[in-house]
Amino acid sequence: MKIASPDASNSRRITASEPMILFRVAHQTFAIAADAVQEIRSTDGLAGAATEFEQTEVPKVHHTIERAHRTYYVVNAGAHFGLPVTRPTLVLILRQLRSAVLVDQIERMADIFTVHALPRAFAGPERRWYRGLTYLDDHVIPVIQPNGFLTPDEFNRLDRVAMAIAAERQTEKAVQA
Amino acid sequence: MTGTENSGGNSFVLLQVGDRRFAMRADIVEELAPPVRLHSFPHTSPLVVGVIVRRGHVVPVYDVGPVLLGKVSPAHRFYLVARRQFGETSESSAIPVNGECELATGEVQPPRQGRPEYVTGILETAVEKLEILNLEVIMASSAAAAHVSNQPNGFTGASL
Repeated sequence: MKIASPDASNSRRITASEPMILFRVAHQTFAIAADAVQEIRSTDGLAGAATEFEQTEVPKVHHTIERAHRTYYVVNAGAHFGLPVTRPTLVLILRQLRSAVLVDQIERMADIFTVHALPRAFAGPERRWYRGLTYLDDHVIPVIQPNGFLTPDEFNRLDRVAMAIAAERQTEKAVQA
Repeated sequence: MTGTENSGGNSFVLLQVGDRRFAMRADIVEELAPPVRLHSFPHTSPLVVGVIVRRGHVVPVYDVGPVLLGKVSPAHRFYLVARRQFGETSESSAIPVNGECELATGEVQPPRQGRPEYVTGILETAVEKLEILNLEVIMASSAAAAHVSNQPNGFTGASL
């Protein structure tokens, strides 16, 4: 019987702590680097800035938000992770990405010192969803990869729909004029 | 785990999954761990039911019940931690098992005809004959089958 030897590649120790936001979706806690989030807004407060985005290409996206002349595709985190239906109350607008995420609630901020690599046993889309796993207060929490909410292909498909909708609106305006 | 330490090629760990007993090569087995807390989170990987933390390391847990028993494993008492190979690297992997595991040696016979590919042989000990499992083949054979059924679901119609 062999004694397990620590595998150096199994975890990535961050020399300094990294501030993270812990949020919940359908009773599941996730962590996301605070740096990756530009703004957190209540869904009520965004009602005016959000536009319904009717499309079937990417079912987890039902809205867009306009912020500072940028359009963000709003991803329902519950749908993204295949979790039960909830009523999200907050939207995380991501930094340097054209996506925002609907979540149920913010749990708290935490300084994370270690992010363990996602074990290779996990071989599906979760490799794109998560940067890794962290162990905090006796809980293993997935650490979100911010650009994992929408793939480049999904962005392309959403952009195509958005362009088609914009063209349709232009035509309608021209007809009315 | 009981028995004398022996990592030779003819040593096997005898384990119980549900109500059935199997054998597994001893040289890939690391330890028998207590039933520590299972942590789960969303993913789509077949047979993986979550992770446990052992000595500061995150170890994925596979429920092999659906493959071996045709159903999810019943309540278990321990985790058998074994190494799984991924190309040139390997990773600790845990399997929920019932009861103590034993270390045994014995004569290895070829598998009976028609048995699944993950059965690599029959271990004949003084008291019983047990199928020898190949963990890699179990994972590989289940991966394709479960790929479709484990896709994320539960899309919400929530609005802003």
